[in-house]
Amino acid sequence: MRKWLAVLSTAILAAGLAGFATQASGSGSGAKAGGTFRMGTSSRIDSLNPYVAFNQDAYNTFEYVYPFLVQYDKTNSKFAPDFATSWKPSDGGKTWTFKTRSGAKWTDGQPLTAKDAAWTITTDLKYAAGGAANAAGLVAHIKSAKAPNANTLVVRYSKAPGNVLGQFQQLAILPQHIWSKHTGNKGTNLKTFSNNPLVGAGPFKLAKFKKDDIALFQRNSSFYGEKPKVDAFGLQMFSNEDALVAALKAHQIDAIEAVPGTAIKTLKNAGFNVRSTAGVDQTDFIINSNSKKSGHRELLNLKVKAAMAHAIDRKQIVRVVFLGYARPASSIIPAATGAWANPAVKPESFNLALANKLLDGAGFKKGSDGIRVAGGHKMSYDMITPTDVPSTNRTFQILQPDFKKIGIQLRQRALDSTAAFDAITTPDNKYLKFDLALWDWVGLIDPDFMLSVVTCAQYGGWSDSGFCDKKYDSMYSKQQLTPNQAKRKALVWAMQRYLQAKRPYIWLAAQDAVWAVSKNWAGLVASPQGPFNSINKLSLSRVHQQ
Amino acid sequence: MRGADYVLKRLVFAVLTVFIAVTINFALFRLAPGSAVTNLARVPHATPETRLALKREFGLDKSKFQQYVLYLQQLAHGNLGISFANQQPVSSNLRTALINTVPMVFLGTLFAIVLGTLTGIISAWRRGTKAEGASIVTALTFYSMPTHWLGLMLVILFAGVLPTGGMSNEFLINPSFTTHVKDLGEHIALPALTLGLVLYGEYTLIVRSAMLETLGEDYVLTARAKGLKPWAVLRRHALRNAMLPITTLVALSLGYIVAGAILIETVFSWPGIGRAVYDAVLQRDYPMLQGAFLVLTISVVFFNLVADLLYFRLDPRITE
Repeated sequence: MRKWLAVLSTAILAAGLAGFATQASGSGSGAKAGGTFRMGTSSRIDSLNPYVAFNQDAYNTFEYVYPFLVQYDKTNSKFAPDFATSWKPSDGGKTWTFKTRSGAKWTDGQPLTAKDAAWTITTDLKYAAGGAANAAGLVAHIKSAKAPNANTLVVRYSKAPGNVLGQFQQLAILPQHIWSKHTGNKGTNLKTFSNNPLVGAGPFKLAKFKKDDIALFQRNSSFYGEKPKVDAFGLQMFSNEDALVAALKAHQIDAIEAVPGTAIKTLKNAGFNVRSTAGVDQTDFIINSNSKKSGHRELLNLKVKAAMAHAIDRKQIVRVVFLGYARPASSIIPAATGAWANPAVKPESFNLALANKLLDGAGFKKGSDGIRVAGGHKMSYDMITPTDVPSTNRTFQILQPDFKKIGIQLRQRALDSTAAFDAITTPDNKYLKFDLALWDWVGLIDPDFMLSVVTCAQYGGWSDSGFCDKKYDSMYSKQQLTPNQAKRKALVWAMQRYLQAKRPYIWLAAQDAVWAVSKNWAGLVASPQGPFNSINKLSLSRVHQQ
Repeated sequence: MRGADYVLKRLVFAVLTVFIAVTINFALFRLAPGSAVTNLARVPHATPETRLALKREFGLDKSKFQQYVLYLQQLAHGNLGISFANQQPVSSNLRTALINTVPMVFLGTLFAIVLGTLTGIISAWRRGTKAEGASIVTALTFYSMPTHWLGLMLVILFAGVLPTGGMSNEFLINPSFTTHVKDLGEHIALPALTLGLVLYGEYTLIVRSAMLETLGEDYVLTARAKGLKPWAVLRRHALRNAMLPITTLVALSLGYIVAGAILIETVFSWPGIGRAVYDAVLQRDYPMLQGAFLVLTISVVFFNLVADLLYFRLDPRITE
């Protein structure tokens, strides 16, 4: 739902992405090592502490400064070694043994061993309900994590999970000798540790950090994996997109992490390389699906939901709101996740006649003013739009006149995201008052997280639709505990079909990841999260001057 | 004794104002829908229990009155609390943001005061001439410009000439002192200029108005009749007597320096107090908001007090 929601990938990406995967993998003619690669972003690193951080750029930073057990390979389609060189499940998937690198070091010279990984997992388990809540979901079902020697990690689960590697791809391993001093106050101190200076073991070490301003990373010459080609990488944070674009054009920076749609043409004309690929940020039309809501119960009627889905002109949204840099969306699992997205779940056709027919058939007659009447009241609804998702304004402007044509009146209620979520969940996380909302989800590539947001357990948590369905919950639990990935995929596909039928969401558009880079640089690796991502350590390790 | 009474009254009034502001700040932010937990409990993979744990951790499970008493107790010990958002002491967050903000806003305000006073004096002295017309029209034009729009125009105009974002070029490797100072100057130029241009019109109008009033006084006519040079009439007789409203405006402006300039900080990616407060509002970071508004309150009250005391010095009739 939020931009900062980590797109912490764990699964297979679109096959077509592979073609985009590398612009130049560091072997192109004229490639030069060294230099400082300067990237601008309109996002920011909100915290250096993994137990506190929200923003995607913070998670991207952790990917490059901390060791992770696994990462994705360059095609983003398979898990590849990171700190772990190999792994093996046993006991029906309830025990996982990882062999880790030998001779690895933290940036302060202390040895990095499997014991650090075991300590991190154990600490996350111990303080899951408090200081380590940020990592709680990543260690779900784990019973214990032990390091019988410096290069072996053994993780035992109470039940065999379906996404072990996907979870570990997101779990930063922390240096025990630093973090063990900050577990006081029942683990709460984990969150108050500023973690600056940061001791890590990734391809880069953080040399300088000024909140909302700059993060400067230097090459870590003692890194255990592929060494970066550049001497340093800097992330300059801009709070204004025009200033960001002006800085690139003036060559004060070398690249933009996510290019605003309105600047794409300008940057292309100015001679910059502008790249794009399918992304995982999807806008959605939310319908309160809580069966216990008291008012406007006609919105629970599946025919009404279907009519609404047919009254949405996705092509117009893509063209006007995203200037063509998006694709019509249809499922809770974005198409950019490749095999996890069910290709049979397609966007509904834009067909106002059909929408009217469905509503007529459901018995909702139009009044003299053209607005339909349901249960003695007009079909007139407030639509909540969060102000920090600017695309929702233009989207609403497209929806409103089309909905009027099918006899449904929409009124915009713009609120900041905190107030918007409060209005959705009110009263007391019971989801009784709101009707409709627009928002976006930046989904994870592994489907587990996105599928979880519509479970009953997420009331008051991630749920923004009030959807609670026992059959769906049972499907969710089953996929979570299905180690066989082919069987799990079949379940995930079935869940997407089920959700499209129940429609807590009508998916609108999947935004492309678009970035720009000076022609003096090459080697960035594409991903649905853009070139600076938490999918693997490749992009900034391979970027180089040319 | 009248003077002492006056100072004492002003001091008591200042302290009372701060206390009332502290109380209002406490209540105001909690009236906004949603709470810090709404945001913070929604971290990737967090469990629903996290919400409760966070509420307990932030003391939001206590009654509003208990929270208020706790807040006052903390304040009495000089403790502004811990930020909900980044878990760092509010005092530390505020210090960093203020260190970034104050030089930029001070420079912009100073520019506005100097330029506004000069143009105001010229407008009054050259009343009825083209100089007055040009000065007033220019001042009003800048005064009525939306700050962010003017900032963006300057970004577009000076892109490639001056930096458009940040406080310094952090990519410079071991810069010399001169290079560093030059770099800082280049970065501060556009945001300070934007602020100065938007603010100076206000000074022009106030100074002009105050000067016109004093220039019409009999003592100015007398000074002229005595054959004093125009500059002496202006400086000794007109400007001195026009100082009261100007002092008020300057004091108010200086008081608001610690409030930062949210729009300018946003346009020029300046990590200052304005943006910190804006973020705190979005995140319902009550301790941060309370701390920031406390600092702002104290600053405004302090500079008003200074203005009051200056009045006393500038115009002793005030205590009569």
